[in-house]
Amino acid sequence: MSRKKSKAILIFAGAVLLAILTGAVFYLRQKASQPIRMVCIPKVIDEKNDFWMSLLEGTRMAADEYGVELTIIAGKTENDDQGQIEKIQEAIEMKPDVILLTPTSYTEITDAAKEIKEAGIQLVLVDSMLDEHVEDALVCTDNFEAGMKMGEFLRSILETEPVIGIVAHVEGSSTAMERVEGFRAGLGEYENCIVDTVYGNSDYDKSSEVTRQMLEEHPDINVIVGMNEYSAVGAARAVKDAGLEEQIQMIGFDNSLEEIQYLEENLFQGIVIQKPFNMGYLGVEKAVELLRGEKVSKTVDSGSELITTENMYEMENQKLLFPFLDN
Amino acid sequence: MKKEHTAKKPGWLFRFKSIRTSILLSFAVLVISALAIFLVFSMNFTQNAVLENSIDYTSQLVDQLNADIDSYMNYMENIAELVTSGSNVSDVLFSKNILRRESAKGRIAEQFATVLSTRSDICNIGILGDNGRYLINNEEAVYNEYANIEGMKWYQQTMAAGGTPVVSYSHVQNIVKDSYQWVVTLSMGLKNPDTGDIEGIFFIDLNYSAISDLCEQINLGNKGYLFILDSEGNIVYHPWQQLLYNGLKTERIQEVLDAEDGSFVTKEGDNSKLYTLSRSEKTGWTVAGVAYTNELMKNKEEMQLMYLVAAFVLFLAAILFAALITSGITKPVKTLRNFMKEVEQGHFDHVYIPVYGENEFASLNNSFNIMADRIQELMEANVQEQKEKRKSELQALQAQINPHFLYNTLDSIIWMAEWGKNKEVVLMTSSLAKLLRQSISNEKEIVTIEQEIDYTRSYLTIQKMRYKDQLEFEIDVDPDILKVPIVKLVVQPLAENAIYHSIKYMEEKGTIRITGEEKDGDILLNVSDDGVGMDAETLAHILEKKPDDRERKHKGVGIYNVHNRLQLYYGKEYGLSYESAKGQGTTVHIRIPNTYQEEAGHEQEEI
Repeated sequence: MSRKKSKAILIFAGAVLLAILTGAVFYLRQKASQPIRMVCIPKVIDEKNDFWMSLLEGTRMAADEYGVELTIIAGKTENDDQGQIEKIQEAIEMKPDVILLTPTSYTEITDAAKEIKEAGIQLVLVDSMLDEHVEDALVCTDNFEAGMKMGEFLRSILETEPVIGIVAHVEGSSTAMERVEGFRAGLGEYENCIVDTVYGNSDYDKSSEVTRQMLEEHPDINVIVGMNEYSAVGAARAVKDAGLEEQIQMIGFDNSLEEIQYLEENLFQGIVIQKPFNMGYLGVEKAVELLRGEKVSKTVDSGSELITTENMYEMENQKLLFPFLDN
Repeated sequence: MKKEHTAKKPGWLFRFKSIRTSILLSFAVLVISALAIFLVFSMNFTQNAVLENSIDYTSQLVDQLNADIDSYMNYMENIAELVTSGSNVSDVLFSKNILRRESAKGRIAEQFATVLSTRSDICNIGILGDNGRYLINNEEAVYNEYANIEGMKWYQQTMAAGGTPVVSYSHVQNIVKDSYQWVVTLSMGLKNPDTGDIEGIFFIDLNYSAISDLCEQINLGNKGYLFILDSEGNIVYHPWQQLLYNGLKTERIQEVLDAEDGSFVTKEGDNSKLYTLSRSEKTGWTVAGVAYTNELMKNKEEMQLMYLVAAFVLFLAAILFAALITSGITKPVKTLRNFMKEVEQGHFDHVYIPVYGENEFASLNNSFNIMADRIQELMEANVQEQKEKRKSELQALQAQINPHFLYNTLDSIIWMAEWGKNKEVVLMTSSLAKLLRQSISNEKEIVTIEQEIDYTRSYLTIQKMRYKDQLEFEIDVDPDILKVPIVKLVVQPLAENAIYHSIKYMEEKGTIRITGEEKDGDILLNVSDDGVGMDAETLAHILEKKPDDRERKHKGVGIYNVHNRLQLYYGKEYGLSYESAKGQGTTVHIRIPNTYQEEAGHEQEEI
């Protein structure tokens, strides 16, 4: 009796132990074999656009580091709202854990973004936001701070009493307003020296055009500030065409090869650039933290950097200006 | 004995109820501790071996990478040597003779073209004079007027180094208009032969991707990576360059610079890394291979699990083995115990332990079997002896009555013969002959009631003739019970008893009546007389054993003997019972079971 009992106990204990072990093996295997699934939807995938390439490289690097299974899809152009909405629906059907989205529009994408949340998928917005706060986290440049860097820099290089003209991108757009506000704050007492603000609608030619008009209206302008890449380059072209390089100090925003060359020529005394690599990297990192249940602040600043003609070839800045190896 | 055992405190191992549990438990403890030690040792050993292997492997990789980079640099130095060895270069930059300058320029451009066409990893090659004269790549390339090369570190380093070649860290080369490329520049100052001062430079740009591709090709696990620092700690290559500049990650640059050639392991828990370094004499660069220790041990968990499973299987096997061994030990002990219990309870019949093999248990069992056999034999012998004893006692009793009676009867016969009573002599002699025949011929202990009654009748016939006027007898036994077996010498001794103790003392004629019937399934035989009877005191002790041997001799077969034999043979509920009163005569009831059927069967069986 007791022998049978002890044998039964032994067998039972063995079975339980074996079950626990196999369970542990399966648990570990499964845990290891089920990475976080993420879909990233940038505005566009454009090999020639350093901003998006840099952002995507950031997401890829973070995805590698955190073992995230990353899928990247995008519409055809930066303004292709309908294309992006389709891609969002495609992404929802993939049933990922999280979607990383840079909305092409402040207003048009909101409904699609709501669908993401309704499907029980985490949503992290990168670079741009929506008119409603449906996202779980937002990673973008602190535009006010970026604008302030421009203002403070301008103050530090002023030679005479400035007469300032601003070339911004889209009237009423949040980024333009924030940057301008930051710029004013950075200027401090020179804030009153801003004589005009014009809008180039994110178009080189339009920006040149409005700059020319502004210069005609205010021939005494000696400082022009561009609030995004189109505005800055467009304004620079206009100034160059007018042969006013020596008279006018310029500050730009964002970078492109053309803008960098203007910086090198000292047409721009300085530019403030965003950090798309950081955006991409932080976007993935925050998404992973969200999924792990960690506390993530709703808005994460990806940072900005002021680069001047003097320091543009310093090591850190080179990497920001020229993120890629083969141009 | 038992008390002594329990009084002794047993060792802890023997406090358990069975030896088996004790052995299993100690086995388990032994096996587990052995396995634990084995696990710790093997895991440590494996871990160390893996680390050693990784260091060896990574060292080879970083050394190889360093050698590759050195070979690049050697190649570029050779080109630099080649280009700058003649007077062509100084002619181009410093000669005042236009013709001479132009022809030299042509030759140099040809050299540059050859280099650029044969090596795709060289993206720029050029000479540059302080005086503004230059030749870059080919004669079409335009110098970037905004390049500000005096502000560039690589240029400053070259000028500071005099005529020796300098290798820059990775940077964007902006010297050619509209071209911005990541390169590593090898450059050297050029002397103006007229002044003897450094007044120009030769430079050759190695496409940075040549180096980054080399680094990226090398696989150090999923998360492991390689990076290159120049002698000042500037990053030449690092996959996390952007992250480092942005402060999203940090690298142990100072530690790497401070470390001697070799390797070190950082202690960061799960993120511990193995740094393996290789420093190049030529470039002064340090190549560092970084591997995550948890990746090196990436099957550490699996390995641990495997070890654990192996240990568990071994443990099970050991326990199973132990169980087998212990059952090998305890099973015979238990069998022995069970058989001993049987013996304890007196069942010897089936006590035989099968003996297998020749070990201690086999000999123990064998001894036990022999012992049990011996005991059984002794007991059987004892029973046989008892039986023999009873038989011989009976025979002795039979033999005892015969001479007495014979003597008296013969005496009577002589007497009657003297008186010429022929008829009586015949009857008595024939009765005596019958009695003797029955007594002698039948050695069985059991006879039928008929035989017993016949025997008694013969006896009474003789006695009646001897005590002529004093004795009368009647026998009235139900003929149905005549075939029923009964223990021999039961009725006759009672009749004899009646004569000697009752009839003998009577004045007038006494009568002995023998009846027999079946009652309630038992056989009841009654021997009654109308003699003197006995008092209650005598009656109460009539069935007890008389210590006086002489009395017994006198009486022939004693009442006790009859009663005892009946009870021995049939059981306690059978035997004799007396009914008597002073002057009222005595009746003895003999009760035996009706064993006619069974007895017949039994006899058949015996045959």
